Amino acid sequence: MLRLLSSIYKEFLVLIRDRAGLAILFLMPLVLILIMTLIQDATFKTVKDANISMILVNNDRDSLGEAIRKGLIESDFFEIVEEFDGVKITEEMAKEAVAQGKFKIGIIIPERATEAIRGNVNALINKSFKTFDIPGVKKRTKKSTVNIIIYIDPATSYSFKNSVMSSLKEFTSQLEIKMFFKNFSLALAEMFPDQKAVEFESFETIKYQEIYASTTNSEILPNSVQHNVPAWTMFAMFFIVLPLAGNIIKERDEGSAFRLKTMPGSYVTVMFSKIFIFLVVSFLQFLLMLMVGLYILPAMGLPQLEIGPHKIALALLAISSGLAATGLGVAIGTIATTHEQSSTFGAVLIIIFAALGGIWVPIYVMPHTMRIFSQFSPLNWGLSGFYDIFLRNGNLLTVLPEMMKLLFFFAVMLMIAIGYNKIHRSK
Amino acid sequence: MQENQPIIEIKHLTKIYRGSNKPAINNISLDIQPGEIYGLLGPNGAGKTTTISILCGLFDPTAGNVFIDGMDYTHSSEKIKSIIGVVPQDIALYPSLTAKENLTFFGHLYGLKGKNLSNRINECLELFGLEKTANRKIKTYSGGMKRRINLIAGILHKPKLIFLDEPTVGVDVQSRNVILEHLRNINKEGATLIYTSHYMEEAENFCTRVAIIDEGNIITEGRPKDLIKNNKEYKDLESMFLHLTGKALRDE
Repeated sequence: MLRLLSSIYKEFLVLIRDRAGLAILFLMPLVLILIMTLIQDATFKTVKDANISMILVNNDRDSLGEAIRKGLIESDFFEIVEEFDGVKITEEMAKEAVAQGKFKIGIIIPERATEAIRGNVNALINKSFKTFDIPGVKKRTKKSTVNIIIYIDPATSYSFKNSVMSSLKEFTSQLEIKMFFKNFSLALAEMFPDQKAVEFESFETIKYQEIYASTTNSEILPNSVQHNVPAWTMFAMFFIVLPLAGNIIKERDEGSAFRLKTMPGSYVTVMFSKIFIFLVVSFLQFLLMLMVGLYILPAMGLPQLEIGPHKIALALLAISSGLAATGLGVAIGTIATTHEQSSTFGAVLIIIFAALGGIWVPIYVMPHTMRIFSQFSPLNWGLSGFYDIFLRNGNLLTVLPEMMKLLFFFAVMLMIAIGYNKIHRSK
Repeated sequence: MQENQPIIEIKHLTKIYRGSNKPAINNISLDIQPGEIYGLLGPNGAGKTTTISILCGLFDPTAGNVFIDGMDYTHSSEKIKSIIGVVPQDIALYPSLTAKENLTFFGHLYGLKGKNLSNRINECLELFGLEKTANRKIKTYSGGMKRRINLIAGILHKPKLIFLDEPTVGVDVQSRNVILEHLRNINKEGATLIYTSHYMEEAENFCTRVAIIDEGNIITEGRPKDLIKNNKEYKDLESMFLHLTGKALRDE
């Protein structure tokens, strides 16, 4: 016991005397979680508040053009630009500005677009009421297509482009319905003179009610903070692998490991003391990031993190995640022969685990093969556990499978390190 | 331990590293008696470090056996490790810790504690002239001071058998004298010393017996004075060493 305590104290002294290393261990995760949550908050709000500039060339100057213009302005997502220095933007100018990356999107509404839609509506009505001659409705049966051209910056994200397209489709279809209804109403008035034509009135006949499904009476609302804090906390906690592996390699390079291996019972003792100290560090990182979610992010205008009532489950899950990370650090530090090897391999491996674990892209949108691989990422296990607690009001029993996987991963990593040492003895 | 039992028995020891077809140690046998100062001498890559590493329990041999005080590493690894002390060639200490903190940590690993440990640390620091700088971090020490503290870390628990891998390399004359003088005293108190060095004059004066190793084989072995006396063409150990191992440059 004295050996273990003395080893822990030694690791503690080594750690606190490396001021720069200590600052990196605690400040970098803090910076990471702040930046990532703030960035992702924008995407979470589906580009709302982002106020993205967009070119609109309205050559129609009729109902369609006006409907699109009004809709885009009222959406609050976009800032509409129609002139450059007082000069009305032409299609060529719009194309060039978007190609140069100055604007994400340029919308060109062609001349007589409204007239074309109107014609199409009339054609449909004429087809329906062939026998009547409706004065307000021109005789026309031929349909024409309206080509709204949208210039897109190649750097524009797929989701943003889709969001704009869906808004445009909504505006045009609303206009079509409005025109159809108006002309249909005129036709009916002609057929039944006693009947007064009614004005088109927009009415939402179908309403959508969003309810976050929960098996409990949880009042936790999903938001960017609830999603991002656990995700980036897991990511940052796993970065403990790098200083821990570096610590093991440094001890070997400086010769202390040689001395320790010639001393009674010291290898296992020293490894456990390292695991203990770095586990404490990773737990402190976890607490620090919870504090960010609880106090700093709300001060920056973001929602406050809701921890939920299952704090013991949360703590045990954090410890399991920390153990998985330290186990990986011990294995990498034991096998890697240089700092360069451990830092490159360790960092890339964590990024792969994070990508597979759904830190950046949700697992459900991944291709089938990737979804299979993601089942083997410890970051996925940890993150699923945190989501269970933060978003689904999960308890200790709910997160037990994830905790067991993380602890199993820790045990496997330790066995790899011990096995490698044994092989190295007989090399 | 039986009377007259060697403290180290090496029987047909061979080590071939994985991926190499040349043995680093080739079927060597050796007995070292308690109380000896035994020198393992040889050019770079001769097999000295491999031999010491096996004797310290760091590597398993490919063939042959090693007995330390009648015990082998397969059955009594922990017991052997508690009676040996190792002074590696590298400064095997934590640079950000003070001398006292380093020694306290290593002392605890050897099972020393409380007053016994602090008294022993103070005694050693005083012996090696480091008592005034005991609370300074190792990274602030000079080369000679680091070497002395490196030595203390290996002898703190009063081991029966001490492995010294070039303990005086790169230090000034004063530090070298202090180190060798205290090692002689430790030997007089009963400890057996296994010593490697490239300084032939130092080895000639310091060792009771030496073995000259080259390419994994023991070329010659005996008391330095006897070796020189029996080979009249050599005026000292160095000329004999050069003759036996050749003048060609060696790399590790």
